[in-house]
Amino acid sequence: MENTRQNTGRTGNEYIINIEHLNKQFLVDKQPIEVLRDINLQVKKGEFITIVGHSGCGKSTLLKIMCGLVSYEDGTVERNGHAVAGPGPKCGMVFQDHRLLPWLKIKDNVGFGLRHLSKEEKEQQVKEHLELVGLKDFANSYPSQLSGGMSQRAAIARGLANKPTILLLDEPFGALDALTRIQMQKEILRIQEEQGTTMVMITHDIDEAIYLGNRIVVMSARPGEIKEIIKTDPVESKKRDSILFAKYKKKIYDYFFEDTEEEHDVAYVI
Amino acid sequence: MKTGKYILVALIVPVIILVLWYIATTFGSLPASILPGQQMVGNAFIEMTSNGQLQGDLMISLVRVVKGFLASAITGVFLGSVMGMSSKMQNLLLPTITVIRQIPMVAWIPLIILWSGIGESSKVIIIMIAAVFPILVNTLSGIESTPDGYAEVARLYKLGKWKTFTKVYLPHALPQILVGLKLGLGVSWMAVVASELIAASTGIGYRMNEARSLMKSDKVIVCMIVIGLIGIIMDKLISLLFNQFTPWVNLQKNSK
Repeated sequence: MENTRQNTGRTGNEYIINIEHLNKQFLVDKQPIEVLRDINLQVKKGEFITIVGHSGCGKSTLLKIMCGLVSYEDGTVERNGHAVAGPGPKCGMVFQDHRLLPWLKIKDNVGFGLRHLSKEEKEQQVKEHLELVGLKDFANSYPSQLSGGMSQRAAIARGLANKPTILLLDEPFGALDALTRIQMQKEILRIQEEQGTTMVMITHDIDEAIYLGNRIVVMSARPGEIKEIIKTDPVESKKRDSILFAKYKKKIYDYFFEDTEEEHDVAYVI
Repeated sequence: MKTGKYILVALIVPVIILVLWYIATTFGSLPASILPGQQMVGNAFIEMTSNGQLQGDLMISLVRVVKGFLASAITGVFLGSVMGMSSKMQNLLLPTITVIRQIPMVAWIPLIILWSGIGESSKVIIIMIAAVFPILVNTLSGIESTPDGYAEVARLYKLGKWKTFTKVYLPHALPQILVGLKLGLGVSWMAVVASELIAASTGIGYRMNEARSLMKSDKVIVCMIVIGLIGIIMDKLISLLFNQFTPWVNLQKNSK
């Protein structure tokens, strides 16, 4: 069982997620491939963390380790003060391809993880979360009848239906068109404010990372390492045309520029 | 309007065949024992139905189909699921099954007759051998094609192995299992007729063979037409029934 004990003397417990010296290797054709190297990340309750990096930099693996879908051997990964040993109801997850089960109606998809509840409680939870994401009129629709943005809303509702303390989002808006994406970014911020859920989101969209993240984790590729964690200004980062927004953007761009062009000197000067 | 046009187009070829048949039997010099006229076939149909013979034969054949089809449906879905869920079981069984599949259904008939005579059980066994493979193969492929992402969702919500099968793999495979069952039913009908033609003392296939030995080509043709019609009716009925089980499938088609 997980609980949210706080300030019990152990410093680790003030963090909802605590990752220390995490290394991860995969065996490909019996050859070890280093995926993550010395990852250190602490997430506080109610924070919104965004992770940006090249595709293949191991950020999805990192997220799956956080929720317990992928095992780790080397380092510490704690959720709510306990070492992660597998998926748990306190940790929800939203994938890029919404992964709604096509044979279930939206209400049943949202209630998919609520097996432990009574029928009435389950119905109540489903209704509540469909309202939260603005899909209460689509409870009896099938996923194929929904647009991409609506499907992703339903997936978010499913991720939140268990009332998790943490919601992990793996490029949830990556497949949406630009306008829907901006709409969804506003929605997820509203939901986070309403629910107070701690969120960790992977994205390859730098604007999205700045707009949503209280802190932005910049990762390099092969092996995945944290290059920097940028703390954003809570007001200025929500204005896409502010000077500070542009500065964050430049800073993150430069990391990737350095990565691809290998102009290390330039990066050091900045 | 559109379906009306569709039916009209579909009727062109049958009408041409009927006209050619009419011309051949009215103006040609074919003996009636080779190609009877349409009038003769109609009379034979009335004769065979009025004394209840045709209905009786059909009933016997249909009961055999139902028994054989149910047995092959249970076996096929079970084996297909086991092999789809466990690569060990698949490695154990699939090579043998693939080899056995190559033997045509009619080639089993001599051996089955040696083993269990020409009674009911031999018919059911032959139907089973014929129908089990399309059901098994479609079940297996439906289970195997389940995206890993869905299985990951099941793991995320800590579903056990059995729940993962019933809540994720089985529903994903269901449309394809139903395709397999539909094919299996069609094959069952063919298998029962074939087995009755070769060795039987009752059933629609037996009736046809008996009519042939008496040079009653009109009765042979009545049987052929009835077999075709029953086949089509079973196919349409099972499609209608199965569409009820997979309401999400047609939605996907309509939305595209």
